[in-house]
Amino acid sequence: MRLPDRVTGLFLVGLGAAAAYGGWQLPPVPGQPVGPNVFPLVIGTGLALCGLAIALGIGHSFEEEEELIPVEGDQPPPPTSKLYGLRVLLPPALLLFYVAVADQLGFIITAALIVFVTSTALGARWKLSLPLAVLAPIGIHLIFSKLLRVPLPAGLLPMPW
Amino acid sequence: MLNTLAQAFSLICTWEVIVAMLAASVYGLVIGSLPGLSATMATALLVPVTFYLSPIAAIATIVAASSMAIFSGDIPGALLRIPGTPASAAYADEAYAMTRKGEAELALGAGVWFSAVGGIAGTLSLMILAPPLAEIALSFSTFEYFWLALLGLMCATLVARSSPVKAIAGMFIGLLVSCIGIENPGGVPRFTFGVTNLLGGIEPIPALVGVFAVAQVMRAMLTPEPPPIPRRKFGSIMAGQWRLTKKYHWQMTRGNIIGIIIGVLPGAGADMAAWVSYAMSKRFSKEPEKFGTGHVEGLVEAGASNNASIASGWVPSLLFGIPGDTIAAIAIGVLYMKGLNPGPTLFTEKASSMYAIYLMFIIANIIMIPFGIVMIRLASYVLRAPRSSVMPVIMLCCAVGSFAIGNNMFGVVTVATFGVIGYVMEENGYPVAAMVLGIVMGTMIEQAFVTSLIKSDGSVLPFFERPIAAILAAMAIGALIWPVLVWVWRKLKRTPIPATSPR
Repeated sequence: MRLPDRVTGLFLVGLGAAAAYGGWQLPPVPGQPVGPNVFPLVIGTGLALCGLAIALGIGHSFEEEEELIPVEGDQPPPPTSKLYGLRVLLPPALLLFYVAVADQLGFIITAALIVFVTSTALGARWKLSLPLAVLAPIGIHLIFSKLLRVPLPAGLLPMPW
Repeated sequence: MLNTLAQAFSLICTWEVIVAMLAASVYGLVIGSLPGLSATMATALLVPVTFYLSPIAAIATIVAASSMAIFSGDIPGALLRIPGTPASAAYADEAYAMTRKGEAELALGAGVWFSAVGGIAGTLSLMILAPPLAEIALSFSTFEYFWLALLGLMCATLVARSSPVKAIAGMFIGLLVSCIGIENPGGVPRFTFGVTNLLGGIEPIPALVGVFAVAQVMRAMLTPEPPPIPRRKFGSIMAGQWRLTKKYHWQMTRGNIIGIIIGVLPGAGADMAAWVSYAMSKRFSKEPEKFGTGHVEGLVEAGASNNASIASGWVPSLLFGIPGDTIAAIAIGVLYMKGLNPGPTLFTEKASSMYAIYLMFIIANIIMIPFGIVMIRLASYVLRAPRSSVMPVIMLCCAVGSFAIGNNMFGVVTVATFGVIGYVMEENGYPVAAMVLGIVMGTMIEQAFVTSLIKSDGSVLPFFERPIAAILAAMAIGALIWPVLVWVWRKLKRTPIPATSPR
């Protein structure tokens, strides 16, 4: 997801301009010189200026190269296919999946699916990921629902406690 | 004074506080020692749990977990050359070199001993600095608060190890996020796009969990698993630490002082303290050539420094509600939740609670020594836990924790969104800490700014008329101009001697 500075900078120019415009549109408080519109206007303008500077490469010389700590021993080279990069979206996607189905399926089943998928994606064999998918949701449910009284959705598989 | 102290003692001598503190210590030690799970993340994931505790117990968990996690990050740094938390990154190489020389005990012992000393020094600074500053702060008006908050944000951008322009952009993004909702001077829905859930604004805690925890799980998806730690038997861990303390007492003191100063600065935290102190130690050392070959001197100074910054980071948080670092930003959220609203009056009205916080810091740093020794001995087992079993549990905690904050599924959406934002920003060199501080301080800075503008009738002059406001303004503007000066200076220097390596 490493994008050139020009792209992120121009994106920020757009975001800043939109924020400033949006702030400008807000109704002022009658009889007062400053209202809710001033702050977004200032922030948006500042953000747009920063984005412009980034797009033009100002301040780039300050960036320190990331210290890559080489790991000793031989490592398999990371796969470089295009689909491999999409794995990065798995965690947020799973969280949205939780939002979408937790109320119907219930916490235990949804959580078990999330644990299984995350653990498998990180390279666990089923001997590890299956027991983990059973035990971790029950443990979390115990702590949060029983001990801390968070109303977790029961769904299809309510816990006996 | 003695009376308050006795009250503070009775506040923390309850089973709830003691159990919460011990459990949070173990939790902090484990999370801190696992590579990739930072102290900030440990603290952020604790917040939902603190909802259900008494105020003092809630703060106890934060204090204990953050102090322990900062020390515990040294363990994989020394044994694997992979820092457990960013705060240990500055000297992970050095500690690992010591392990290869067969001095793992000395390196880890120095970690635990000087962390504890640093933590106590930081606590003393909190006790000494906060009350007189509170006296001054009582006379602050919105002008001072505005400049102080701005100074905090500028410091956060200044110390980021990245381009200052990108850091300022990150700060603006955070401020923009804080604009969302109806909590603004006019009370109109702002940037909500008709979404009811956005009316209340973005809660800082789910945003923090997303930026620090979800983004980390995302990163783990693409990076190879760290190698398992070799099993080893340790000799005596504390042997020789007293000798080191006597030999390097000056380095230790300097580390403590630097850590305290960096901690008090809003926005700069433990990782910055460690980097600055390690560099300082090398610069002023009598034997700089030994650095990098397994020399304990830098470890002493930086280890003393990062833990000192944790406690002193609470000074601006308690006084002004301006976080000293990202951990303190979380602590502020918890303070508000628990009715201990930050502000100078906290020290007069809730003095016993303040003393309880000091005491908890001192206790946490004392029990760090035995707990740390046990943790070092168990490290070979804890660090064998594969990432594929830790990360799924983190995911669940993110989902449940963010839901628990408002018993609202929208919290989970916020976490996921900020996970993506944090990941993309970090990948492209935008420091997320600046954005986080922007989110936390946004409402406050806007209120101070707009109220000041109304008071001054739209004129800018009164912003500089009060003496303290003028000083703070000069500092904030100086922090903004500083990178420009550095840049010009570098340009001038580079002209006569071409191809000098930067820094």
